[in-house]
Amino acid sequence: MVDLPERPDALQTPRVGVDEWVAAHEERVGRRTGLPGLIERGWNWLPPFGKLAVCVVPAALLPLLMSEENLARYAVYTLFYALMGLGLNIVVGFSGLLDLGYIAFVGFGAYGYGILASTQFGNHWQAELAIPVVTVATAILGLLVGLPSRRLVGDYLAIVTLFFGQAFVVFVNNANRISFPHFGHVDLTGGANGLANIDPLNLFGYHVSSTRQYYYVALIAFALLVSALYFANESRTGRAWRALREDPLAAESMTIPVNRLKLMAFAFGAGVAGFTGAIYGSFQTGAFPGDYDVGLLITIYAVVILGGTGSLAGVALGAIIINCAPELLRSQHDASLLFYGVILVTILAKVRPWRLCAAFLAALVGFGFAVHAIADAAWPRLTAGHAQASGFLKGPIEAWVLLPRHPVKIADFAYVILIAAILLVTQLHGWRRLAVLVPTLYLAAMVWENLLVGQTAGATRLILLGALLVALMNARPQGLLGTARVEIV
Amino acid sequence: MNWSLFFDLTVSGLTLGSLYALIALGYSMVYGILKLLNFAHGDVYMIGAFMGWFALHGLGGPISPDVGAWIVTALMFLAAMAGCGVLGVVIERFAYRPLRDAPRIAPLISALGVSFFLQNSALLLFGAAFRDYDSFDLIGVRTRHVGNVYLATPQILTVIGAIVLMIALTLVVARTTVGKAMRATSFDREAAAMMGIDVDRVISFTFFIGSALAGAAGVMFGLVFGQIYHYMGFIAGLKGFTAAVIGGIGSIPGAMLGGLAVGLLESYATGYLPQGSTFQNLYVFAVLIAVILVRPSGLLGRAAIQKV
Amino acid sequence: MKKSLFALLVAVLAFAAAGTGGASTRSSQAAGAALINCGKTRSIGLMAPITGPAASIGTLQVKWAQFYVTRYNRAHRTKFKLVKEDTQLGGPNGNAEALKGAQALKGNGKVLGVVGPAGSNEVKGVTSTLKGGGLGFVSGSATNTTLTTDGTRTGYFFRTVPPDAQQSKSVSRFIVSNLKYKKVYIIDDQEAYSTGLSDEVEAQLKAAGVTTTRDGVSQQQSDFSALIAKIPRDTQLVYIPWQLAPKAQAFGQQLRQAGKASIKLMGSDGLFAPEFESLSGVYDSFFPVQPTDATIKAYMASHGGNGDFFGAPSYVAAQVVGRAIDKACKDGRASRAEVRRWIAKTKLKKTLLGLPVSFTKGGDIKGGVFGIYQSKNGKFARIA
Repeated sequence: MVDLPERPDALQTPRVGVDEWVAAHEERVGRRTGLPGLIERGWNWLPPFGKLAVCVVPAALLPLLMSEENLARYAVYTLFYALMGLGLNIVVGFSGLLDLGYIAFVGFGAYGYGILASTQFGNHWQAELAIPVVTVATAILGLLVGLPSRRLVGDYLAIVTLFFGQAFVVFVNNANRISFPHFGHVDLTGGANGLANIDPLNLFGYHVSSTRQYYYVALIAFALLVSALYFANESRTGRAWRALREDPLAAESMTIPVNRLKLMAFAFGAGVAGFTGAIYGSFQTGAFPGDYDVGLLITIYAVVILGGTGSLAGVALGAIIINCAPELLRSQHDASLLFYGVILVTILAKVRPWRLCAAFLAALVGFGFAVHAIADAAWPRLTAGHAQASGFLKGPIEAWVLLPRHPVKIADFAYVILIAAILLVTQLHGWRRLAVLVPTLYLAAMVWENLLVGQTAGATRLILLGALLVALMNARPQGLLGTARVEIV
Repeated sequence: MNWSLFFDLTVSGLTLGSLYALIALGYSMVYGILKLLNFAHGDVYMIGAFMGWFALHGLGGPISPDVGAWIVTALMFLAAMAGCGVLGVVIERFAYRPLRDAPRIAPLISALGVSFFLQNSALLLFGAAFRDYDSFDLIGVRTRHVGNVYLATPQILTVIGAIVLMIALTLVVARTTVGKAMRATSFDREAAAMMGIDVDRVISFTFFIGSALAGAAGVMFGLVFGQIYHYMGFIAGLKGFTAAVIGGIGSIPGAMLGGLAVGLLESYATGYLPQGSTFQNLYVFAVLIAVILVRPSGLLGRAAIQKV
Repeated sequence: MKKSLFALLVAVLAFAAAGTGGASTRSSQAAGAALINCGKTRSIGLMAPITGPAASIGTLQVKWAQFYVTRYNRAHRTKFKLVKEDTQLGGPNGNAEALKGAQALKGNGKVLGVVGPAGSNEVKGVTSTLKGGGLGFVSGSATNTTLTTDGTRTGYFFRTVPPDAQQSKSVSRFIVSNLKYKKVYIIDDQEAYSTGLSDEVEAQLKAAGVTTTRDGVSQQQSDFSALIAKIPRDTQLVYIPWQLAPKAQAFGQQLRQAGKASIKLMGSDGLFAPEFESLSGVYDSFFPVQPTDATIKAYMASHGGNGDFFGAPSYVAAQVVGRAIDKACKDGRASRAEVRRWIAKTKLKKTLLGLPVSFTKGGDIKGGVFGIYQSKNGKFARIA
């Protein structure tokens, strides 16, 4: 065999057909071009701390742009949920332990801080002393709760932790009537009236009182925690947690100390929860039993699941979506805009080529007007109502959508038929799907205007959340930013 | 020893326990076959209660029904059971079947999503107001008493009805071909598929039966306790789930035993312990923890052999 | 990790943009002393649970407050506008929604006074925010006694309902002096309102020599049969100061079912509703509202015959705030501090509550008293 001469640029030119070139094929295909590609490559070039800075610095500038009330609504609670989500992520995302009593740890942190810094017992500890104490205490509690988990698998752990969560709420609700043998009658938590008048944070003499100041405290805490967790994830412990999550039995066979890891996960998660709870309780100036019950637990779970279990950035993204979406839906006008906007964007993004998209939209609009005209002629009562929207939407909606004068019964039936129609659409493909989609979307608009829009802050929000969870799990079970897992049963 | 109190508590415990048992059966069967905790099961039970209510009012209402009171009751049961069965099959088809090969947490979250969806759809459609079954007017609640022992009609109906349904279920599972297929699928799904069993049909059938039982439980609840509302499925589902776990999840006799145990436990705790009613959930959960720690797979459950 | 943080960056920037585009009222640090031009339309803030588990009572409060505003606007040249904030009492986010609402009202420079919030725990939670904004707030349903006695919100918080201490006094007096019962069973529903009231009634009855037993149920519970079995047959009265009337109705029916119909049942103001009314012979305590009052009749006429009495104090609360704003705006300019001072000086000789309204230093109605009603033929009639 004759050796091929070495070319001068042999190192730079990819050798077609050779192993490394083939191996890099997927990466080349996945690389984006143009502006998104540029941004992505720039992003990859940044070191981890650079990435954190790029996210945190604009967030730090937010208070200069937003009024105090908007800051509270959108930003501060987002950060709180993200912080709680980080703790839950350690337990559920990193280690795969289904903890349904997690919110009790947050409550424990809030009440603990209240006991140490409020008018309840006259203690007014400074925050730099109280918060570490509370964090450590909560971590110990997490350890204790984790002890029974050593013998339990997945679903059973869920129940035990759920019990703990319920027990905490009942305890806190009734702890104003305990009489200790030595101390006599002690009012630990204020019972159902809650622990009120919790001091604002007092960090080294600096009083944190306004929403802006709390926002910065929360932002700094978030940045620190994300960094700490990033390091934890990259460490041996993090890798061991991932092994535990993927397959506990295999991990144990590989001499990974599974029980110890479970306890550590519980302790860390609880510690983060306690820390967040202390700041949360201080921000709300009080800790009340109803605050730390299943409702908030579900919210935090939604944050973690939506963002992707196991992903740090996912938690932040999940928190942003879960907190800001209901706020945006608060005003009916905004909600309607959002509703129609999302539908329109989805159609534009998913229905290709453009001619088909245009035809579809034309068919949709035409169908609507046709039905409206027929209804107007045959049963005037069906179009006699008024739209709840205001501004530029009102006119088109009243002309296009059926708005009966007494919508209640019709809207109820329409709702049930709409669900059936949506389920049918998921089963069809191609042109049949588009054909059925036209009346379905029209029905959806009708149900929205007559039924859902009046309940945007209540039932509608949770209906959409439920539907979103089902759809999300069907489409992308790993959440928005999680990594896809393959489970071998 | 206050026998009268004991008997009252036992009757109350058995009534509630029968309801929990019916709900627990649905949980157990689904878990046995799919290893899935169906969080939406409690809400199917709630929908069953509402279906019964609508059937009742469709037939003229409790005060002057179109047909005899007992026929109306029977029709209510039928409507609720059939409706819930169909609902369960639809839920399985669209929310769980696509996720059969996904990681375990995905169908769990999907179940949670379905639960929200059902609860709040009920709120949207039926409103927040409580609806009344008004069994006093419908079947005439006569409290019979023997000495100091009191028994009301709906309670007797519930316990007997639950026993009948449970016997029927046991017969179906033990004697029929479908039952055999169900048992085989829950033992090893892949092997069952290789043996020619249509796994999809069997799973759909399981959901149908489980949900039908929950629907029946919903109607019974309405008849005994009177008030139904959109949020009632949450706590009932939780208790039913606890019952299934105590009895051994995946085991049908275990679910029945667990349900009765939880019902009786709640009753005795309320009746005998100081402030028992306030803390009854805690006592039940504490027993649950104790059972799980001593026997991790429940009272009648089978320890699963884990393969690596 | 890389793509993820990229997405995060985009999301953060996106909502930063959204936030900037949103209402850009600069935070008004006016601690209430800043004068504003009253103008023709004045704003009253309203905090109530418009959605969520307590929506059934919140919507009543909104209806009554709106009724006041509508009547006022019809009869006067200047107009009032309600700025509604949904507090979702009992909802999944706990007090967070109330806090957000309070922040919004504080930041809204036009709002001069607030009606609400509805829950006692909510009042505690929003106190520092509303105080920081200098706003006075008048609640139509927060009855926890410590709200006016612990000194943290004197001069800012007022209420147009008598506190639990008053209600418990009326109730115990009735049980001891009128009914002369010796064995009472008290059951609370584990919520703050209920446990507070139960604690006080229990203490007062014990002091009067009545044998009391205490237990609790959860608001989610529908099965009371075990608890009913536990109640001894020689109990004379069961006191259930609950919030959900349908549950109380179920309790009464199950009591009847267990053959214990001879035991009398008594509720509190939270149960003054048609469902509880339907049980014949039950007692209830409520403020002495007169159904013959002209305002109440007008409300019932325009709301399909429903009294919705639970929301009636919110009408009076709106009335108090409205009159205070009127007085403060006489010279065309007003500040929140001025409105607060006028609220404290309120003197209404006649209100639909059946009481005259003027406030003590803590914020309670002077001389507040509860009436005792009994259900006869499906309607409550006052007997004490």
